[in-house]
Amino acid sequence: MKIALYLVWLIAIAAVGWGVARHLRISSDLRSFMPPPQTADQKLLLDEIGEGPGSRLLLLAISDAPDEQLAQLSQSLKSALQADPRFLRVSNGNADLNALASGLLPYRYLLSPTLDTQRFDADYLRDQLAQRLDDLSSPAASMLKPILPRDPTLEILKLAQRWAPAKQPALRDGVWFSSQDEALLVAETRAPGFDPGAQREAIAALQMHFASLPNSNRARLTISGPGYFSLEVSQRTKAEADRFGLITTLGFVILLLFAYRSAVPLLVTALPLLSGAVCGFAALASIFGEAHGITIAFGFTLLGVAQEYPIRVFSHRRAGQDALQSVRALWPLLATAIVSTCIAYLAFFASGVAGLQQLAVFTITGLIVAGACTRWLLPRVLPERFRDAANAPGLASAWNFLAHLPRPRWLPWLVLIAGILIVTFAPARFWENDLSALAPVPKNMLMTQARLGSELGAPDVRYLLVLHAPSADGILHLSERITPQVDALIARHAVDAVELPSRYLPSIETQRARQARLPDAKTLATALAQAEQGLPFRAGLFAPFVADVEAARTLPPLTPEQFQKSPLGARLQAMLLQHDGQWIGLGTLIGVHDPQAIAALSKSTNGAVHLLDLKASSESLLIAYRQRILIALGIAALLLCATVTIALRGPRRALHVLAPMTLATLMVLGVLRLAGIPLSLFHLVSLTLAAGLGLHYALFFERRTDDPTEERRTLHATLVCVISALLVFGVLALSSVPVLRAIGLTVALGVAFHFTLSVLMAPAARLRHED
Amino acid sequence: MKPLAFALLLPCAIAFAGSPDLAATILSHLAQPDSAQTQFIEVSYRGMLDRPLITSGTMKWLGGDKLERDVEKPYKMIAKIGDGQMSVQRGNGAVQSMPISRAPQMDAILSGFRALLGGDVAQLSQDFDVKAMGNEARWVLTLTPRARELQSRVSSIQIDGRGDAPRCMTMTEADGDTTITLVGGMAKAGLQSAAPLQSALAARCRND
Repeated sequence: MKIALYLVWLIAIAAVGWGVARHLRISSDLRSFMPPPQTADQKLLLDEIGEGPGSRLLLLAISDAPDEQLAQLSQSLKSALQADPRFLRVSNGNADLNALASGLLPYRYLLSPTLDTQRFDADYLRDQLAQRLDDLSSPAASMLKPILPRDPTLEILKLAQRWAPAKQPALRDGVWFSSQDEALLVAETRAPGFDPGAQREAIAALQMHFASLPNSNRARLTISGPGYFSLEVSQRTKAEADRFGLITTLGFVILLLFAYRSAVPLLVTALPLLSGAVCGFAALASIFGEAHGITIAFGFTLLGVAQEYPIRVFSHRRAGQDALQSVRALWPLLATAIVSTCIAYLAFFASGVAGLQQLAVFTITGLIVAGACTRWLLPRVLPERFRDAANAPGLASAWNFLAHLPRPRWLPWLVLIAGILIVTFAPARFWENDLSALAPVPKNMLMTQARLGSELGAPDVRYLLVLHAPSADGILHLSERITPQVDALIARHAVDAVELPSRYLPSIETQRARQARLPDAKTLATALAQAEQGLPFRAGLFAPFVADVEAARTLPPLTPEQFQKSPLGARLQAMLLQHDGQWIGLGTLIGVHDPQAIAALSKSTNGAVHLLDLKASSESLLIAYRQRILIALGIAALLLCATVTIALRGPRRALHVLAPMTLATLMVLGVLRLAGIPLSLFHLVSLTLAAGLGLHYALFFERRTDDPTEERRTLHATLVCVISALLVFGVLALSSVPVLRAIGLTVALGVAFHFTLSVLMAPAARLRHED
Repeated sequence: MKPLAFALLLPCAIAFAGSPDLAATILSHLAQPDSAQTQFIEVSYRGMLDRPLITSGTMKWLGGDKLERDVEKPYKMIAKIGDGQMSVQRGNGAVQSMPISRAPQMDAILSGFRALLGGDVAQLSQDFDVKAMGNEARWVLTLTPRARELQSRVSSIQIDGRGDAPRCMTMTEADGDTTITLVGGMAKAGLQSAAPLQSALAARCRND
């Protein structure tokens, strides 16, 4: 009967888990976890840019093979990625002359700046034709021959040069090579850097393309770039968490076997927590349809409190009493803990931030289900036979030891004052605003990135030039207008290179002006005939040229939509964005040396152009986010105080519970501050978990009972809880990954302080009643 | 420095030889130390033009895959090729660079050139079918590209020579355009006409 129920329970968990796994979408887009943006820059950052075009770039190096093979691989990989919709643009140095779609070829006269300073008159054409004649006896002849009749002034070549990357690595075998004999490529993903899930897909596709190339097994592909880093870092973090998880699971198993001298607790202890988790997921799936990865990570951390429920049941079973009876005796206190925690988390639900609301739904559902399972299911699967924890060896002396510890009345005051002083005056930075500091990219990867980035002239990932105008053409116009100022900045070495939208497409006005300078067919024919005199070109050779010029005279100006058909269309599209009925143009900066000089563009354009500091904007977002969490936590704390006061029927008893919790939290903060650790969101969540555990310790120590064996059972349960928490989080505190260390250290410290203070501040008379 | 006993260059060309033994012998004569140079006269016959283009100047091999071709007449132009780049400076104007990949035949020609000057038949045979005709005193090497891509541009390259000295290099492009480059003694002797007929010039290379 008990075994049957146990199996049914297991199956139910598995079934709900399976259903949830099929329906719940795990989102990795940070935007769904962030609060609504406040400033214009934050809005731009979140809505349109992701983390900027720089964050979409993957820098690739193929090495460890002969040059020709590397060049071949570079070329094949480029073709494969160009055919993959997950990539916007791929360059490997092999820029072909087909930069303009063949249907758009006559537009070259509107796109190239030649006509700004020249006219196609006899003098200019004569000069050009004479040069072409020289070209025909030069090494470039074979390249020029095919385009000469159509394009004697070489506008196609001028455009290809204009559109080539500003700074290029050395070319060998037609493709980029680094100074360390690697073939270099740059791939731009369609997915923003903000979306690690989509980045992971793109990188997996990239690796698959490379692996399927012939001979690729003999060469090595190195990937670098922000998208790759975040993937790599999260994988490392997960690997380390898994490794530690294995160690602590083992430790936990030994602890339970030792504490209860039975395998039964081992088999059932995880069930309430698992039930809570799958039901939490089910609630997320039915209310939101999706959950953010961070919600799940934070939620699981907070749900860790529920691991205490079954332990309390195991430890508090009384000899001669069946499991149901002892649970019933325990329930009021457990229910108080659960209800007050859940009510506190309601504050997150009211925060208005989707990510926090998800967190609240997951945690509250999880806690309630785990509690209900502990109350109504767990006792029914526990066997009759068990050992009363009150008789555990050494427990009585431990109790005596704790009961006789000195409890000076000034202790809480000392902790309070010292804590406040340390927290206030410790010299360390209070907050960590740079989330990447918590999951730092390994140094060798950063060095690879710096090396490849400087060889490839990769765009700055921090700064971006933002142009505002009412229309796309307005952006192009503005972009042309600031080009001289930008060139001056480059000349002053404020920045190495700048890529503006008008580099690819001139404004309509500019195109019209160039168009107006094109001669009509008759004039051109006359000028050409004059220019050709005495030169050996065959008669009629340049008829295709005359035809293209005539076509260009009557073309409607090229728009960004039409330009999309060109190979560089996607590039321009990524630089022109429609946002809130306005248009925004993005200028990419390469090698920023003097951001202030660039920021001065804003003044000279009355704010139409400004320098966006992505780091500052994302940090300000984070700060805004943290403020929301702090407010939510503050309200949660107030709700908790109120609930505990009502449940314990009066402020006196409530103070016995709430004071140690508060002081312990203050102590953890003090230690972190003294250690010079700036606080992050992860610390806040960990503090919350520790406080949840501390609530249990304080509630149970505060409990009135006249039975010494029951007091020993309370101690037993608390010790098992404390040791297991110290085990799990103490090991995590040894991690080399800062984010794991932050969680581990904070919770481990918290558990230790909460336990100590709960013991030391428990009503003294009650602890000593044995005397 | 021994005058670059032979010449080469491009707008395109190179060449090599008939029986493998003869080819190897000729190549061993042609092999150069680290650098070499020669005068050249180049006559290009182009379908686009009514008469041939004639240029003259000095061709230099600077070691490795670096070549320099200085045109002195009828205009000044310095072309440098190497490291995957091709740069051209006309008169005192700006230097214009472009990747060699834009002129794909240049790559193969360069590797052939390297092999030729290094005396390496095996290397040369990788890129070209090499035929030698005649004897050591008076020979013709014919190179036919192996790669289809290069074949679509260059049909053949032929080098005429005497003993250890090349005389002419003739490159025939796939579209029928032909460039005949006179080097060494032939270049010194000069042209007999301002617009020599292609057939007459070819005969001079072979017979004279």
